[in-house]
Amino acid sequence: MIKPRKGKVKNRISKVLAVPEEVSLGVPKLTILKFEEVLIENYKGILEYQDFFIRIQTYIGIININGFKLSLEEMTVDDVIVKGKIESIDFESIVENEEG
Amino acid sequence: MYIKILIYYIFGYVNIVVEGFFIERFINMCISKRIFFWNTDRSKSTIFSANIGVGNYKEVVKIAKKCQCKIKINKKHGLPFLLNRYRKRKIFAITLVIIAMGIMAISNFIWNIEITGIDETKQKEILEFIQTEGINIGKYKNNIDLQNLINKIRIARDDVAWIGMEIKGTNLIVQVVEADEKPEIIDENEYCNIIASKDGIITKIEAQNGTPVVSEGDTVKKGDVLVQGWLEGQYTENRYVHAEGNVTAKVWYSDKEKVYYTQNYENQTGNKEKKYSININNFKINFFKTLSNFENYDTIRTIKKLKLTSNFYLPIEIIVNENFEKKYDQITYDKNEAKEIGIKDLKNKLEQQIENSENISNIYINTDETDEYIEVEVIYEVLESIGTKEKIEY
Repeated sequence: MIKPRKGKVKNRISKVLAVPEEVSLGVPKLTILKFEEVLIENYKGILEYQDFFIRIQTYIGIININGFKLSLEEMTVDDVIVKGKIESIDFESIVENEEG
Repeated sequence: MYIKILIYYIFGYVNIVVEGFFIERFINMCISKRIFFWNTDRSKSTIFSANIGVGNYKEVVKIAKKCQCKIKINKKHGLPFLLNRYRKRKIFAITLVIIAMGIMAISNFIWNIEITGIDETKQKEILEFIQTEGINIGKYKNNIDLQNLINKIRIARDDVAWIGMEIKGTNLIVQVVEADEKPEIIDENEYCNIIASKDGIITKIEAQNGTPVVSEGDTVKKGDVLVQGWLEGQYTENRYVHAEGNVTAKVWYSDKEKVYYTQNYENQTGNKEKKYSININNFKINFFKTLSNFENYDTIRTIKKLKLTSNFYLPIEIIVNENFEKKYDQITYDKNEAKEIGIKDLKNKLEQQIENSENISNIYINTDETDEYIEVEVIYEVLESIGTKEKIEY
């Protein structure tokens, strides 16, 4: 979703200034506490919300969380916490890996 | 997080149930409008429940309409709803307010005066002093000038070295540090006599300075001059000096006691009864008949002051009277037993008076027998230094 050129320039500047990427580029940052809590920063929206399956849209792809008794907590515009028994987390990237 | 929820509790929150096919859209729209919700639950695919603040409810309803969802309030929580429920209980609310105001009013007065640091008789004296100065139980707390009172007590009493007063809650705490009584010290440059502090017979007299007036074997009374504070010169006139010296004398301590052969003894039978009464600012309410069931009894009275917290005394006292039943038994002694008891009692009494028991030189015991009792007299003969200095007054 990021426009490649602008992204490149921004990317370089942020690398020079050592600004964290999730701040400068708006890429998601996941913090997993135990196997029961995931904090997702910089998300865009919730695509699907079920008891056992949560899909979260971000700027570079979709995050899928599988588990039991999942619930959304502390939702703000930028971040969300998913609580419950998490079994797996997988990603569907929509940005091609440019440099590898 | 918890603080946020607490704030929502104060302003009220509702548990909503949203039913529809576009729940995710509903959630996203809520987030984009910065509506905070918590305790989310999605047990079924078409039903979603969460807690939201009362203020957001109208907006949520609009969003739900847009998403073609049904919305329903499941339960109302929080203070506004709680108060609303008790809206009709006016008397309850009024009494709550009255009680709160009553406690606030009561806490403005002094309900207890506590004196620490000295023995009970002096506590009473200081308490009386404080009361004559106008600070009594039930006095309005803010009008008290403690510093002034402290100064007054310190001027009035010599035996107080330091006094501190503090009002804690409804409690006036008076802390006293007692001053030791100082013996009168006479300056080296001043002239003085040595006088007798007790009656006795002189056994030894050493005058280092001054003229001895008494000699060994003389009987002296309390207050007699032993060494005079002037010297007689052969060629000069009398010269006043600071008399100094040691005077030892035999001093007698004696006491008499009658010991009866038959004596009444009190014995507690173990039966007791408790009687309660309440004292509200000198207005007493008894919860019992004042007469006891027992014929002979001792009463132990304990007074408890009610307090809300450790320093918040209330003007209410609970008085517990405990009556212990007792009966009288007669014991008879023969002569020797009675004598022993008398001697033991007297010795205990006298040995408290004697400062140094090593100086006891003799103990005399006299007895006088009659039909009913035996009279015992114990005399201690003690060698003591009896000289004290006294300033010469011109």
